[in-house]
This record gives sequence, structure tokens and C-alpha cells, in this order.
Amino acid sequence: MAIVGANGAGKSTLFDGVMGLVHTRGDIRLAGESIQGKGPTFAVGAGIGYASERFNLFPYMSVRDNLLTGAWTARKSIEENLLRVHTLFPRLAERESQEAATCSGGERQMISLGRALMSAPKLLLVDEPTIGLAPKICAEIAQSLQRMRDEMGLTVLIAEQNANFAIRLAERLLILESGHIRAGGQSEELAKDEGLVSAYFGKDAGGFEAKEGVKSPGAAWT
Amino acid sequence: MLLQILIQGFLLSGLYALIAVGFTLIFGIGRILNLAHGSYLMAGGYAFFWIGQIIGLPKIIGVALAVFLGAGMGIAIYRLIVRPLKGDRIAVEIATLILAVILQAAIVLIFGSSSKIPHPLVPGVVRIADTPIAWSILVATCASWIILLSLYAFIRLSHTGRAMQAVSMDPKGAAICGIDSNRIDIIVWSISGGLGALAGVFFAGYTQLSPSMWVTPLIISVAVVIVGGIGSIMGTLAVAHIIGFMEVIVTTLIAPELRGVFTMGLIIVALLFRPRGLFGREEI
Repeated sequence: MAIVGANGAGKSTLFDGVMGLVHTRGDIRLAGESIQGKGPTFAVGAGIGYASERFNLFPYMSVRDNLLTGAWTARKSIEENLLRVHTLFPRLAERESQEAATCSGGERQMISLGRALMSAPKLLLVDEPTIGLAPKICAEIAQSLQRMRDEMGLTVLIAEQNANFAIRLAERLLILESGHIRAGGQSEELAKDEGLVSAYFGKDAGGFEAKEGVKSPGAAWT
Repeated sequence: MLLQILIQGFLLSGLYALIAVGFTLIFGIGRILNLAHGSYLMAGGYAFFWIGQIIGLPKIIGVALAVFLGAGMGIAIYRLIVRPLKGDRIAVEIATLILAVILQAAIVLIFGSSSKIPHPLVPGVVRIADTPIAWSILVATCASWIILLSLYAFIRLSHTGRAMQAVSMDPKGAAICGIDSNRIDIIVWSISGGLGALAGVFFAGYTQLSPSMWVTPLIISVAVVIVGGIGSIMGTLAVAHIIGFMEVIVTTLIAPELRGVFTMGLIIVALLFRPRGLFGREEI
């Protein structure tokens, strides 16, 4: 599922709120259980992984140590999770002992995603997965996100400014406008809505065909 | 003479590194200068003296009490001063300085204002290359090195150590890994206090116990952070050697009274020319 919205629509704040990094009102439920106000340690323990927009990597730690730090709450399955991350991003295995500060933008995004996967989450929040990346790397990241959903059985929730990217990748969309939900639903349905199409997907995307959806198991996010 | 300077320099520098390492850990994790750091040394030194020479129990109990007292003080400073004043570094610095002065008064009340000479940790003198060296100083230096290297390994290799680095490099990044920064802070503050107090037991073997003995180690610690930059353990070791050797050279070749002056001069020179420190980079 993707949350689409312009800069400042509240996507990152929403994710920070889900993680308990900022104070929120109302209620946040994960698979029926309230996680509202319990803080990030609880959220990670409950099975939420978060790859934030600015990555928040540990610059002077090696790639490997960055990943291992992600395993703080899941120390029993480190070998297994590390293998999973290295299968998904073979480049992280090659760059294992390099400092994160010297990695390229695409590699940092991979470290950020990999670190989030090290806690073996059921739900993965990814904020702006492709911002500022070269098209080739974008495609690589998009493919890895699909593999997390289809092969690893994760529920992946991305925040995206690029609506065309989001609609191609996600089964469901939620459109956020200055903190409020403007529209939501199956990607194919929304692609038929004239008003939304002209506002978010550009005129050319009118005849766009949404990808055949695959039902995502895991936590029930609606 | 040269050999003597070398031996003395290494002995003093190892101790200085132990004195400063807790201070740099705190600076690394919260960008806070804990100006009560010297008080750990004072508390540790006096606790050792109290157990050994007033109560009359074995010295090892004195060492253990010193370490626990220091760790407890560290946790107390964090809980009662740093956390309530969260984010306000200047307020924390003023509060810890006031605490240091209060603790000095408390020592005067309990032990009196005259200086005390604690029994050496290990009695006797050993001669290395014609230089007489007290066993207690040799033991203190070796213990300091072992502790510093274990601490380095702990920070690099253990889960908790990595979490300490993580909180120091990117608090939000640490939070999204599920690391509870309060818990990490308490661990770091207790390590800092415990090592400071242990350094106090060792330091008392060099000088005497006196109510104002917290000042010199505090200046050494500040110098290590300012000259070395936001301290890594290795940076701390390096700068402790610069300061230690400088003091030994000044003491032997110029005048013993000037050693502190040179250390403070080094702080000013570093602030003027290398404000981010020789090894300046933001991590533990």
C-alpha cells in the first residue's frame, strides 16, 4: 500500500506517529492492538520496521554494524535475517566493512531498508524509497520492495510523492492532502478517477493500467 | 633522563586516559560536559581511604565500593540533573559544577579540610631501568590499559556497545532500531561514574586526597575532549598521551608548578586553532 501526497502533506509525520516518535492524538492500531503512545521501542518489538526518509544511518559504523544494530530487538535470528538482507541486496554483502558515511545514495537506501528488515518486521514503513536516486537504482529498490511483499510476506507501506511510481508498485493507495485523507482505495479504481488523475498522475497517465494486485498477508492494514 | 621521561610519561598517560574516558563517553552520547566528573575521582579516592584506613577492611572492598559509589553517582546525576534539564546543556553544566562544589563541602564536613594520604594499592617499589616506580602506579597503569581496551572491544563488538554508538551518532536512527535511549544513557552514565571513581583510587596513589582534588582531573578531561574532538576511545588514548607526556616533560625539565598551566594553555591553543579537535568527529 502506498500513501501519496505532496511535500508537507504529512506522510513522514504519519510514519513518525505510527512509530511513536512524535506525540499523537487518536488511536493507532496494529492488527487490532493499540500501539498508540507506547513509543518506538514497543513499535519495533510489535513488528514494525521503519526506513525513514533521511535514512538516519550511523555514519561512522560499517555497513555490517549498521545492519547488526537493526537486530537490537531480534538477536536470536541475526544470521538468518542477515542472510535474507544480503540475498535481497547483494551489494551490502560486498560493502560489508565500508563505513556508511562513504556509501552512495542508493547503497544508503539499501542499508536503511536492510537495517529495518533485521528486526524481522511484519509491517515495513518506507518513507520516500526513491527520492533523489538514479532511475536504475529506483527500479532496483522497487523490485526489492516487491520481493519483500511477495516472497517474504511483509506488508509494505510506502510514502511517495511520485504518484505514478506508487500506483505501479502498490495495490492500494491513500492520498493525503495537508494532513487529511483525500481519497483511498484500490490502485486500479483510483486510476479511473478523472479528478485524481489530473491532479496527481498527470494527463498522460489517463490510460494507465495498474499492475495486477497480489493480496498481501500479514498485519491487517486497511 | 630520556628513558625516565618515557617511562613516567607512559605511566601517567595511561591513568589520564582512564580519567578522561568516562567524560568523553558522556560528551559523545549527549554532547554534555559533566563538570562533576572530577567528583567521581574524589568520591572514589575517599571511599577507598574510608574502607581501608577508617573502617579497616581489605583494600579490595574499598576498590569495589569506590566503583559502585561512582556508578551510583553517575546514575543519580543523570536521573536528577540531566534528564529533568533535558536538552539544556548550559543548565546541565552549571548544575554539575554546583554539584561538584557541594560535594567538596561535603568532603570537608565528613573528612576535614586537611589532605589525607591513602595507603598504596599495592605496597613496594620496583626499579625499571634505574627508575624507581611504585608498584601501585605500575598496577594502576596496567589496569587502566586493560580496562580501556576491554571498553573499546565492548563498544565495538557487543550489542549494547553498538547501541551506545548508535545513540551517539543518530538518536532517531537508534530509536527506529528499537533502542531505548534512556536505558543506554543510564548504562553510559554508570560506566562513566564507575571508571571515574576507579581512576580516583589510582589517582590518589599519585597525589594525596584533598577536598579540592576534583579540579585537576576535570581539567585533564576537558582538555582531552577539546584537544581530541568529540572523543573516540582511541582519540582519548592519543590525547591522554599528548597531555601526559607534556606534563612529565614540563615537570622534569622546567618546573613542576607549571604542569597544569601548560595543560590549560593547550586547551586554549586547541580552541583557537582546531575548534573541532585533532580527531574531531561525532561518535563514541
